Amino acid sequence: MSDGFPIPAPNRLPVRIDPCPIVEAIFEVRFTSKVPLATLPGMLYAQIREKYPQQKQLPVAQLPEQIRQQDPTLANLPLLQFLGNDFLIQAGPSMVSLVTKPNEYPGWSAIHQELEWFLEKLKLADVVNETERIGVRYIDFFSTDVLNHFIMGLQVNGQPLTSSECAMTTVLRQGALAMRLQITNSAIIGTKEGPKRGTVLDVDSWFSALDAKVFENGLQRFDEAHHTIKSLFFGLLKPEFLATLNPEYK
Amino acid sequence: MNTALNYDTRREYDLTKDLQDLASWTGLRPAMPSETAREELLLRKLGPRGWGRVYHFRYFYSQGWSEDSRPPLSPRALDAFTRFLERITFPSGVLPSVFLTDASGLELSWEDRSGQSVQVEFRSESIEFYRAASGEEGEVSFEQLETLATRLSA
Repeated sequence: MSDGFPIPAPNRLPVRIDPCPIVEAIFEVRFTSKVPLATLPGMLYAQIREKYPQQKQLPVAQLPEQIRQQDPTLANLPLLQFLGNDFLIQAGPSMVSLVTKPNEYPGWSAIHQELEWFLEKLKLADVVNETERIGVRYIDFFSTDVLNHFIMGLQVNGQPLTSSECAMTTVLRQGALAMRLQITNSAIIGTKEGPKRGTVLDVDSWFSALDAKVFENGLQRFDEAHHTIKSLFFGLLKPEFLATLNPEYK
Repeated sequence: MNTALNYDTRREYDLTKDLQDLASWTGLRPAMPSETAREELLLRKLGPRGWGRVYHFRYFYSQGWSEDSRPPLSPRALDAFTRFLERITFPSGVLPSVFLTDASGLELSWEDRSGQSVQVEFRSESIEFYRAASGEEGEVSFEQLETLATRLSA
């Protein structure tokens, strides 16, 4: 364990596991905008259209702006998606995010490269006034109940609680990075083969405003959050379970 | 963040009766999942009215508020404000007042043990303060936030 963080960091981290459980990875910047909502998508699109030519409006965009802005559960949701070959870019009135395609995780080096490109384009779009938060979220899915393969679990009267419907949520902090960890063994997720039931491990992490300035330390913050989430993920797995995922090391 | 999964959006708090009136006039909604600790801190240090005002400033004063079309509440000012509240100790029984400033920052104001005014203004790049009892005033960086909170604590 390090710095009182409850989940031990493994000595070495795999570069790949197979099958890869990552459903989706999201890299998000929230900010106060220099421009009105109506202008923002156009200014962003002008910068990214070569790689992200297709646009798609998301259902939440149908709600009136005033209702969206005054409801914190809606205020930071994206309204538009721009579709590229390997990633999606999402935009809302005060956020943008780069998202991997579902079940097609391209690996960190490809993501890092795309983030670097995306942040340059975001700067050129000149829409960010002040950074509110830099966030990284990874959602992993296992098609069976793997709760007992994690080192974290629920207990009742000192005995492990095993149930077909079990969910745990906690917020952890490592340095300036806050992480909301959510595990459930009764998730249903849409796949190409149809809906599947299984276990979801969802880690949402973020640096808040005083620790994040997107054009000064944005890329570095994404790197840090990715590394911490990766370490958290492998730290959570029991070694015998990790062995079944065919880990490859450098 | 958008995802295939939805967050649980049930209320983080069950409002007691004295808070329910406030909830109806401000349209208060549950905290975002990542913000429970901040909401709890605001409630504890500012009371329900102050908590409601901060909520109001965050979500009801969006881009272009006021006749001068001001920007929304500065996230850095809000973050600094929250960290300051974590560290400050107010005199027993004192609930400070909170205001949205013209510069889209937050101002915190309360009376010290001698009944004299203390004011702290959180801006997007720095903090200004004034203490009537000593006539002391100044501007500090966010790195000095903790020291300032200690100095101004009861």
